[in-house]
Amino acid sequence: MTTPSISSAQAPAATGPWMIEAIGVQKRYPNGFHALRGVDLRVRRGEVVVIMGPSGSGKSTFIRTFNALEEFQEGSITIDGTALSNDLRNIDLIRCETGMVFQQFNLFPHLTVLQNLCLAPVLVRKRRRSEVERQATALLERVGIAEQASKYPGQLSGGQQQRVAIARSLCMEPRILLFDEPTSALDPEMVGEVLEVMKGLAADGMTMVVVTHEMGFAREVAHRVVLMSEGRIVEEAPPSTFFTNPQHERSRQFLAQIL
Amino acid sequence: MLSHPALKAIRRELFASRTDGLISLGLLALIGASLLGLLRWAFLQAQWVVIQANSTLFAVGRYPLDQQWRLWLLVALLAMASGLSWGLLRAIPRADRSGVLWPLNDRIALALLAFLASWAPAALGLSVPLQARWWLITALLLAIRWSAGRWGRRLPPRLLKLVPLIWPLLYLLGMALISGGLGLVRVPPSEWGGLLLTVLMASFAILASFPLGVLMALGRRSELPLLRWGSVVYIEFVRGAPLITLLFLGQNILGFMLPGGLAPDRVWRAAWVLTFFCGAYVAEAVRAGLASVPAGQQEAARSLGLTVPQALQQVVLPQALRIALPATVGQFISLLQDTTLLSLIGLLELLGTARTVMANPDFLGLTAEVYLTLAVLFWCCCAALGLGSRALERRLDPTHSPA
Repeated sequence: MTTPSISSAQAPAATGPWMIEAIGVQKRYPNGFHALRGVDLRVRRGEVVVIMGPSGSGKSTFIRTFNALEEFQEGSITIDGTALSNDLRNIDLIRCETGMVFQQFNLFPHLTVLQNLCLAPVLVRKRRRSEVERQATALLERVGIAEQASKYPGQLSGGQQQRVAIARSLCMEPRILLFDEPTSALDPEMVGEVLEVMKGLAADGMTMVVVTHEMGFAREVAHRVVLMSEGRIVEEAPPSTFFTNPQHERSRQFLAQIL
Repeated sequence: MLSHPALKAIRRELFASRTDGLISLGLLALIGASLLGLLRWAFLQAQWVVIQANSTLFAVGRYPLDQQWRLWLLVALLAMASGLSWGLLRAIPRADRSGVLWPLNDRIALALLAFLASWAPAALGLSVPLQARWWLITALLLAIRWSAGRWGRRLPPRLLKLVPLIWPLLYLLGMALISGGLGLVRVPPSEWGGLLLTVLMASFAILASFPLGVLMALGRRSELPLLRWGSVVYIEFVRGAPLITLLFLGQNILGFMLPGGLAPDRVWRAAWVLTFFCGAYVAEAVRAGLASVPAGQQEAARSLGLTVPQALQQVVLPQALRIALPATVGQFISLLQDTTLLSLIGLLELLGTARTVMANPDFLGLTAEVYLTLAVLFWCCCAALGLGSRALERRLDPTHSPA
């Protein structure tokens, strides 16, 4: 195995405008822990960036700053031209355009699958319920669980729940999707079905930032792989280079551990 | 000899070993003896005339006789609303219901109602016209229950959505009917009494303390220091004082604290004290519910663009309140029982009425009859609250619903 072949899932290298521009982001927790020590990352429209790194390296914290689930103290983040500031209206605007998929799915257990999808578009985008329901049904079909629309999340398997969570994010028609270890809480046999959905999204040109340990996914789909360690970006390279010829000692250690 | 399965079960459950058998026999003898004693007392010795002669007093206190038709009307309306809601609950199948029109529980309830309607008025020695009114009201309830169950599904959905609104409207209408106004003669709260006053006080305090408790629980978790500390001080102050002190205090200082006209007389002052008291405990129950909703729920809601109030209303509170429900209803049940303390500040609710009756020279020494009646009445109200809460819990539990 020398040069990894570019699979059909990988979109042509993105050349569009910047969708995410994070510059010098620093975050300290109130207890003094310095989680992010000046992180820079730029993501173009249609680009898929995979962030890897050992636990505690700040990768989840970093992508959670993009939609203001985490505050940061220094640096700047601009999402699709809108600067992330403490202005609540700005934050709400950015959250509408930035979907997030969580490790623990975080579906709303008291609502049916269909209601999970329709809640935000109806409340936030003020769209007509009937129209949203039609779109939601189409999205559920796309992630392969249209027949579960009237069930409650607790009645679904982990893989199905995560696919519902992806559909729920898509229902807001976001321009960016953030994935925070989307397959880490899944049983091994369910990882594939979720990755398939994510590959489909990448092929359709969605801008994605994915925190994951799935090497296969990174190799096949990512345009760029970023390695974080101790609150800093250590290495940033296309997957072909990253996996076969890492430049930094820290990357080599990390790859040796997970391969 | 022991071939019947029921006998076998009895043998297995009660007489598995020699010690078990002896314990069982001893307990059976004890239960049997006390039951026998109670029945002998109830049927041979007890003088139920104290209840019969004072049944109106126990029911409504000194509510003016010529205005009591208003209460009859209210009872009839309540019966109709109950019949309608009950029937529709069974007629409209939902994910969590069997869709059976008359499940076993309903048949038991039907038998119980029929028995109560035919036995209780006669046992209370009511006049035949009064007995007939109770029969009529029960018949009305069951007839509406039957027809709503049978034809409810054909009602237009838009109309069905309005049905739950009947209850708040009926509550307001009931208040107007009881206290007067709207062209009716005013009956001041000092003339309300007995079961009427107990139910009014408890229902008012329950309905008002719930939103108060939710607000206080949210306030205690708020990031605004003034709101948080205000809630903490309120909750801890109320929980640190016995209700009876607060009731006496309320009679004196509530007049200064509430804006003019909100607590004009003793009865309403007591109602507000009960509300504030119960609100503090509800707040703690709701806070426990809020704490048990994972932070990820709020994060998911916010990451979808919901504002803080929207996330709270649509995502966090529905889950928190369901978890807080059993503790909250437990609080309501103790509140209902705590209304008896109102007799100590001179209000004639059930216990107060009972004390005046027992102080009457005609009925001296008949305390057992009176207290037993009171206990049964309270037990019925609390059992109804408990049953309602468990039904609601089942209905709100998404994991139990077969899709």
